[in-house]
Amino acid sequence: MFFRILGESFLRNPARKWLEGAALALGMAITTAAMLTALDVSDRMAREFRRLGANLVVTSKTDTLPLVIAGTDFRPVEEGAWLRQSDLGKLRTIFWRLNIVGFSPFLEAPGEIARGQNRFVTRVIGTWVDHAVAVPDGTTFRTGVLWTHPWWKIEGAWFPDSSPAAGATAENSAGAPASAPQLDAVFGASLASRAGIHQGDIIILRAAGREFRLRASGILTTGGPEDQAIVAPLAFVQDLTGHPGEYRRLLVSALTTPEDQFGRRDPSTLSPTEYDRWFCTPYISAIAFQIKEALPGADVRVIRQVADTEGRVLGKLSALFWLVSLTALLAAALVIGSASATTVLERRREIGLMKALGAGRRSILSLFVAEQVLLALAGGLLGYVAGEGLGFLVGKIVFGIPATGRLVLFPVMMALALAVTLAGSLWPLGHVARLQAAPVLRGE
Amino acid sequence: MFWRLLRQMIVQGRGRLGVALVALVSGATVSAALLNLEFDAERKITRELRTLGPNVLVRTSAAPGAADDTGAVFGGEALDALLATESENGWRHKAASTEARGEGGEVSALAPSLYVIVRAGSDTSLVLSGTWLDAYPRLAPWWRVEGAWVTDRNDAAVCLVGHQAAARMVLRPGSRLELRYANRSAALRVAGIVSTGGAEDDQVFVNLPVAQELSGLPGKVSLVQMSVGGSPQQVERFSADLAGHLPGLEVRPLRQIALAEGQLLARVHALLFWSVGLILTLTSLCVLSTTAALAIERRADVGLMKALGGEMNRIVRLFLAEAGLLGAAGGIVGALLGALLSAWIGRRVFGTAATLRPEVIPLIIAVMVAVALLGALPLRLLGHVRPAAVLRESG
Repeated sequence: MFFRILGESFLRNPARKWLEGAALALGMAITTAAMLTALDVSDRMAREFRRLGANLVVTSKTDTLPLVIAGTDFRPVEEGAWLRQSDLGKLRTIFWRLNIVGFSPFLEAPGEIARGQNRFVTRVIGTWVDHAVAVPDGTTFRTGVLWTHPWWKIEGAWFPDSSPAAGATAENSAGAPASAPQLDAVFGASLASRAGIHQGDIIILRAAGREFRLRASGILTTGGPEDQAIVAPLAFVQDLTGHPGEYRRLLVSALTTPEDQFGRRDPSTLSPTEYDRWFCTPYISAIAFQIKEALPGADVRVIRQVADTEGRVLGKLSALFWLVSLTALLAAALVIGSASATTVLERRREIGLMKALGAGRRSILSLFVAEQVLLALAGGLLGYVAGEGLGFLVGKIVFGIPATGRLVLFPVMMALALAVTLAGSLWPLGHVARLQAAPVLRGE
Repeated sequence: MFWRLLRQMIVQGRGRLGVALVALVSGATVSAALLNLEFDAERKITRELRTLGPNVLVRTSAAPGAADDTGAVFGGEALDALLATESENGWRHKAASTEARGEGGEVSALAPSLYVIVRAGSDTSLVLSGTWLDAYPRLAPWWRVEGAWVTDRNDAAVCLVGHQAAARMVLRPGSRLELRYANRSAALRVAGIVSTGGAEDDQVFVNLPVAQELSGLPGKVSLVQMSVGGSPQQVERFSADLAGHLPGLEVRPLRQIALAEGQLLARVHALLFWSVGLILTLTSLCVLSTTAALAIERRADVGLMKALGGEMNRIVRLFLAEAGLLGAAGGIVGALLGALLSAWIGRRVFGTAATLRPEVIPLIIAVMVAVALLGALPLRLLGHVRPAAVLRESG
């Protein structure tokens, strides 16, 4: 009997039910989509922030003080300390290895190029562009400036990274024979325009008392000191400076979580449990610490300019989206509540009739509650599915990567739908159940 | 007659209408708050990104070099004009006559720097940067200083030391440091230890006159760093404009920051735009379903009026007026509440209340009236309803 009346109620007046269900589904879809975006925004934006370049710099602990002015190091070439390139694979074995987006080792040497009568003093910067690094676990990891310096703009082509640099180099000063092997390198835009270098030109580089033939495979614009320099394969500069297999500076780009109060504390003051928590959170300081452990003799510093800005903007964005989704949730709850209140209020006559026919307060209430629960479950389910779809779509449109679906949200949304619907209908139900049959039926 | 009927309807059905009003108001509130924020959050985040630091450099066109190389420093009138831009009516005023006017292109901080390689302590070579130390909290807010900042740009007795340099020479805030260049020297007190993760970690910072005196280059600087607001295009335009006023000097926008910032902002914009658009659409639809439910419940009333000889046009107009009033009321209250809400969110997230956009208020009211009227549309379909059938059905 109860179920027959319930079924009848859905079949007899479908428009009303549809509308309340639609309000529910829409409200739940908004909330689900907003929650999904809020949950994801920090992770996704963190990846976007990697466009700002590296956030960690690694140098040798025993290096002398660099004398860097406007990006140029004025130290004598032979002064300082170097790090071993063969250790770099270990960066992909640290706890947060998957958060290491890329790294590029750098080694520089002064040089001079001749164009006609003019000589231009410049620097040769050796690095990786797209280099496969062997990781101790047997895999390889591709990294280089394409990952750590994504804003570098090249006109032409990068040099092939695997070029057998050592074989392509030395020729004695007496003028290189035309058949001498040449090496591809990239020239900074300011240097190129001053010296009149175009893509494809063969340039004679004089460095470390030797002469090399370089082919300009591309012109590089970086907006930094590299615009005045030559960028060449790392192996070539290692050979040139007599430091095979070594580098001087490593830039690491890592995905991190914004530093909060806890993340800023000095790890040496933490208790063992706190230390574990710190170690297992991708704070930039924790990642720096793990890199230091992996690379013997290295000093790892956080590039505050990048890391601080990133932390601040990410923190604000994610707070903004949490508040926005909370607001959306609140509004959806009110709209749904009012929709269910409306439906119940409109049915006073029905209730009066039921009472007149001898229905008890209890059975009327349970009938209405059952109806609302059914609606809430159906609307909530529909809303959750639609919300996941919308979150997916927003992620796809904004970041190119769809938002991760989160099943955790499903029970949350269902519970929310139930709570909101019942809260919305309870007040009018209580009101309605106390009604006297006769005046209602009379239309008062 | 029309107005009396309308008033009667509203007074009689105030419970029902009140409930619908709750839906309209909450929809309008969230819409108004989001519209206010959409515009404001972007501007605020641009300002946060500004802390990425100086994005325009001015220096001589010659190749970079230490102060030993006199070709790399500059001074004189051009420099004075440039440094005057720090004050309110300096560069802004000058630029007012040119394209650089308008939103953006304002200098939020600037500082000249003179770099000299000096000797310190037991014969350590390091880079000395003479600058306006008081400008750095604004120009480079990411610097972490242990000890104190220097707040006076004329204080010739103090310095800030990069933390690598401090570690090398075993310095702490309060230590004394002697710097030597050629046959001159300067004795300084260490005010603070700076850590930035950049080249600054290896340098010592003093006020500009100290470095100029030590190096024997009075009135000269190596470069001027500026932090300029606005989009990458505006910064580019500002630089070109500035270069026109400073012959012989190179004005270079720092592309790393400008490019990355532009891309980031584009993402933030897209994110806000799509989420706000989505929530607005869904909220309107959600409110629409409530108003439609309200209208459907009115079928019996329409039937009764028709049975009493009411003209269909008039009846429909009556109900539309009711719906319109409801929408307008919801819109007005919601727009005001939304302004409060966005101000609160702005304060929570960014520390300052979101700037209100006056155009949001009429927009929200219009949307809410439209939604309410759209919701009442099913009533039009009642035109060919037979009163008897409707009345009997709802009985």
